[in-house]
Amino acid sequence: MVKHHPDTNTLLEFAASSLPAAQSVVVSTHLQFCSECRQRLAQLESLGATMFEDAEPVDINPSLFDNVLARLDEVEDDRAANDANASTMSWTVKQIRKGNLDELQWKKVTRSLRIADLGDIDGAAEFSLYHIAEGGRIPQHNHSGTEMTLVLQGGFSDESGSYHAGDFITREAGDIHAPTALPGGDCICLAVLESPLRFTHWHHRWLSPLLQLRAG
Amino acid sequence: MVDKQGEGARGQPATSAWSVPAGRRTDEWSQCVVRIAEHRDRTAFAKFFSHFAPLIKAFALSGSSLSAAHADELVQEVMLKVWQKAAGFNPEKAAASTWVYTIARNCRTDMFRRLQKFDTQLEAEDVGFELEGHEPTMALHASRGAVRVRELMSDLPQDQAQILAKVYMEGKSHSETAAELGLPLGTVKSRVRLAIQKLQVFMDAGSEE
Repeated sequence: MVKHHPDTNTLLEFAASSLPAAQSVVVSTHLQFCSECRQRLAQLESLGATMFEDAEPVDINPSLFDNVLARLDEVEDDRAANDANASTMSWTVKQIRKGNLDELQWKKVTRSLRIADLGDIDGAAEFSLYHIAEGGRIPQHNHSGTEMTLVLQGGFSDESGSYHAGDFITREAGDIHAPTALPGGDCICLAVLESPLRFTHWHHRWLSPLLQLRAG
Repeated sequence: MVDKQGEGARGQPATSAWSVPAGRRTDEWSQCVVRIAEHRDRTAFAKFFSHFAPLIKAFALSGSSLSAAHADELVQEVMLKVWQKAAGFNPEKAAASTWVYTIARNCRTDMFRRLQKFDTQLEAEDVGFELEGHEPTMALHASRGAVRVRELMSDLPQDQAQILAKVYMEGKSHSETAAELGLPLGTVKSRVRLAIQKLQVFMDAGSEE
């Protein structure tokens, strides 16, 4: 039974599709575990649809319809091509959804910790999977931005409580914690750390707080 | 965990204004989509277009978030997707208007990302969640007690209605909304929660938020 959920604001941004891509992956993966949030999402989307339907219609140039009609046959043929062109990132997200985590590139960081870096996505300083061996501990760290975490397998505990598969946890900038995998199996989490440099053009090479700790 | 105080929750019937019994939808737009899917029916498509294209254009132009040329491009993209994806529409599980809204929303987000030159390799569809087919008993869809919903909506204080419009119709994040309105982020968040509470969106979920 999932006990920790995204808050209303996060779910609404997700429903309106204004949540950044990496955060959206974390929310949508939570939705696979949580029928309560699926129900809420349906309600929030329904509200969006009502506002959409009630908008003041804007006149359309009739030539637009002709353009669309002329392209109907061509889009029919495009479908297979589109699937073939799916990006690596889109493939990665599918593996996470399916739970095919062995397919990803894991890197050993400490004896009890492996990380799969999921790459750079807009709005995210860091987007990764964490594999913590049973009973293993991530060194205490804090965050420069909001961090969203979803437990995929097993569970972990920290100063604020214990979390299990499907739980969605938000930690604000400045929160400090030291997660420890619960007994009973390895713990795998999906986490995204919001970039403090969001919407800037800097290509700041991020350094994982974990790697920094390890170096220090 | 947040909105527990929700005074609206007390003494109200257990169902929200948003729920209707699930069942095969017979509204004309859902039938249109079914005809498009099953018969590649261009007359049905034309009818659907004439109703929804002007709404999609209005959605695209909300808050001047897109130029007129981009708005037209969005209308075309969405309508082509309607044609492509019609077979995946299930009238038992969603209203056509909600279905087309989610397509328009995703296409617009992708267009925003392209225009901002975000080098994201993910499309809105990759990161979103398709409710259809997931919840066989989902009792909530768009042609629910529409009158009641709109009543509640018209009673919403202006400052909350304005924020909901920015978030949904203009596709702004909470922080963008806060920046545009010159409000603290916390104020935007709490107005959003208050509005959702007043509209009784979550009433029948009967739970903590």
